[in-house]
Amino acid sequence: MTSSHDADSKGITRRQSLATLAGAGALAVAGCTQSTEDGGDGSDGGSDALSGSINIAGSSTVFPLMSAIAEDFAAEHDQVSVDISSTGSGGGFSNYFCVGDTDFNNASREIQPAEEELCAENDVEYVELVAATDALTVVVNPEADWIDHLTVEELAQIWESDPVQTWDEVRDEFPNEEIERFGAADTSGTYDYFIESVLEERGHTSDYQATEQDNSIAQGVTGSEYAIGYFGFAYYFQNPDQLKALGIDDGNGPVEPSLETASSGEYTPLSRPLFTYPSIESLGNDHVAEFARYFVTQTTNEDLIAGDVGYVPATEETQEEQMETLEDAIEQAQG
Amino acid sequence: MATDNTNAGGFGEVSRVRGIAFEYLSLGASVIGLVALGVLLVYVTIDAFDLANASPEWLLTYFLTLVVPFLAFCLYSASDPEVTRRALSALGGGLVAVAALFTAIETFVAPIPRLSWQLAYLFVVAMPVTAYLTYIGSRGRAGGVGFGLVGRLVGGAAIGLAVGTLFLVFDSLVWFLAYTLGVVPAAALYAYGRRRSVNWAMTAAVPVGLVGLVAAVFLRGVIVTYPSDLIIYVWTLAIPVAIAGGLVVADRGSRLAGAATGGVPLAVAVAGGFLAGGFGVPGPTALIVLVTVGVPTAVYLHRVIDEGDGLVGLALPVLLVGGALVGALVVEAWGVPAPDPWLDASFVTEAPSRTAEDAGLYPAIVGSVIIIALVAVLSFVLGVGTSVFLEEYTPESGILGSLTRLIQVNIANLAAIPSVVYGLLGLGLFANLLGFGLGTAVTASLTLSLLILPITIISAQEAIRSVPDDLRRGSDAMGATRWQTTKNVVLPEAFPGILTGTILALGRAIGETAPLIMIGAATTVFSAPASLFSRFSAMPMQIYAWANFPQAEFRYGVVAAGVITLLIILIGMNGTAILLRNRAERGS
Repeated sequence: MTSSHDADSKGITRRQSLATLAGAGALAVAGCTQSTEDGGDGSDGGSDALSGSINIAGSSTVFPLMSAIAEDFAAEHDQVSVDISSTGSGGGFSNYFCVGDTDFNNASREIQPAEEELCAENDVEYVELVAATDALTVVVNPEADWIDHLTVEELAQIWESDPVQTWDEVRDEFPNEEIERFGAADTSGTYDYFIESVLEERGHTSDYQATEQDNSIAQGVTGSEYAIGYFGFAYYFQNPDQLKALGIDDGNGPVEPSLETASSGEYTPLSRPLFTYPSIESLGNDHVAEFARYFVTQTTNEDLIAGDVGYVPATEETQEEQMETLEDAIEQAQG
Repeated sequence: MATDNTNAGGFGEVSRVRGIAFEYLSLGASVIGLVALGVLLVYVTIDAFDLANASPEWLLTYFLTLVVPFLAFCLYSASDPEVTRRALSALGGGLVAVAALFTAIETFVAPIPRLSWQLAYLFVVAMPVTAYLTYIGSRGRAGGVGFGLVGRLVGGAAIGLAVGTLFLVFDSLVWFLAYTLGVVPAAALYAYGRRRSVNWAMTAAVPVGLVGLVAAVFLRGVIVTYPSDLIIYVWTLAIPVAIAGGLVVADRGSRLAGAATGGVPLAVAVAGGFLAGGFGVPGPTALIVLVTVGVPTAVYLHRVIDEGDGLVGLALPVLLVGGALVGALVVEAWGVPAPDPWLDASFVTEAPSRTAEDAGLYPAIVGSVIIIALVAVLSFVLGVGTSVFLEEYTPESGILGSLTRLIQVNIANLAAIPSVVYGLLGLGLFANLLGFGLGTAVTASLTLSLLILPITIISAQEAIRSVPDDLRRGSDAMGATRWQTTKNVVLPEAFPGILTGTILALGRAIGETAPLIMIGAATTVFSAPASLFSRFSAMPMQIYAWANFPQAEFRYGVVAAGVITLLIILIGMNGTAILLRNRAERGS
């Protein structure tokens, strides 16, 4: 530390430090230097010139799908940093996306009028991309052998704003036990979609355990024989033995949720498209545009979407449409 | 007669029942809490290292090659027949007792999930005995030397890794310029002034250093060609550390030894830094770790060899590494089925993934380390500053005195505000109003610093208040100004107490999740933050996300591995602070 002290008192240290300095100097001259002149924007990252950050927030249902795709993208482009937050569809739109803080917002239902207004107020333009199809799954305790399906009307009676209190009010042969409900919180797109497809103007009950996390719903339903809950298909797909999924009867007999029934369109009304909304301004950046393209190409990847995550991949047709929509938006953004 | 009666009645009615009941109640209270925590930690450890799938042969192999030699070393160091007898009877008796009790519970009550009697023996008997013997052994001469050496090796590596992590976000080029233009000239001037007793040189050191720092920031944008990162680290970190180590040894008498203790680790580190690239390890990190491990170890070795006492202890690292290697060889050779731990090298060096096998925590670890380093600096400076002012400078009476008391009460109340509220404050103030960005490391550090500020202030105040007034008055009587008294008397006396408070507060900060969610910190990132203004994820955020993954492997194995990693880093951080505190206590 104290170079003058060394130099005065210790021959060896001085000689040694001189030698070290000389060595360092020689190495520096020999080319051990770096230049900041043209490297600032990451163009020294090798074959890949893309760099920058991509901020994604939104639906917890789309979160596993988005992180799987982002993981592969980040592995291919090490100068691009992708971050994903699981905030719920509505939370993502109103807190981050429509105020211009994120590049993408995942949603498990379409953007709603109030959110459209908020985005318009802040001049945030966006485009809607379909990510995959989910089968919203209604689950009960595996011990509950007295039930295997519900009609849409019965489902509505259980979850409407003025709901029935005991199971035998739903159907006479059901036991006279109180219904325990576990469902999605109102910031969740799952909640919005459930209202839209089952309850409509009858409203959603507030007499239930609300949570963003599928795991909590599963824990709750596992804990009681008379509990009922609903969430995205992925959780049930990964843990088929832990819970019992109910068939849903939309007038054509009960249909169990599965990748097949969701993609064939039999599982109504609970099979739903999942979305992601890139902001058009962000698409003006090459790395965001490239990520969006990569995302759309991956939506047909069966191994990833069906195998690893547990949603229904898009068809080739849908993918082509999505790609056209995206390319138009990119063109609009990049001029 | 009357007095006699009263006395007899008064003493006669004192009953010991209440006292005994109270004693056992408090024992019960402490046991309930500790056992609950202990069971939780045992299960988290079992999940993180997949010990449930460890075969008894595997456990036995490592017990014989690693644990038994270590215990023998501790017993040798203690060289106390009484301790040896007690340890052996605890290990032996424990074996019988645990096996019997475990089997009895499994047979008559209920099977115990994911636990075998061998594992129970390890956690309930072997671990406490090992901890006890480590403590006893470290007080012997050989043990002291051995643990000192292992501590320097492990601690040096930890510090090296932490410094390397910090350089991921701090611009090494600015640091290079600041060091060359600011720190070196200032240190040189100061040393010169001190040696030759030239006052102006010592006084000039601070302004010269500041000018150098400012110049560095300006020049960063102007200069375009720099030495490579490796040379920057050699020049700014390795050489000064080596010189400092060398000087410590040289002060003990031998210049030659001083040059060797500084020079040899330096040469090894530089060579290691240049060669590391060939093994896929980043050169600068290898260099820093080798320096922070090598120099303190060399200094320590010189001291131990110089004193010539307890040299056997130097064999402890060899014993541990050798034991692990022999264990691995035996397991390999006999094909003993080994567990597949979730917490392994790839877990701490790789990015998160959708498959549990590939999932890693690296970006979140870097994020947490960076945030906590900033929080430590910020909250220490702000906390100590506030408490010194409140304790030493504010009047105790009059309107200002009442105002001070009002502020005191409010600070105490602030400590109880839910962390979500601090998150909202951070979101509004730092992220939006001041424009530090949503979910950036700066925003997070500032928010967490505010969160723990009340705790640091209150504990620092307590520490300052506990400095006896006699010391202050004595200093006043010597004609010292208030600043001199504070600097030379109060702060050194209060320092250990201040550190204790800061340690506790930092432990809370590193585990916080709610304020991070509020300021928009990311749940998952795939690369380590590249600057203070890039978005990051912290360990608790990522662990929380994993806890909600649909796959059971995530919710059990990967989450447990994350928790253990967080705990290890927390222990490392607290250990550093406790060492600093003990040193300060010894110093005063």
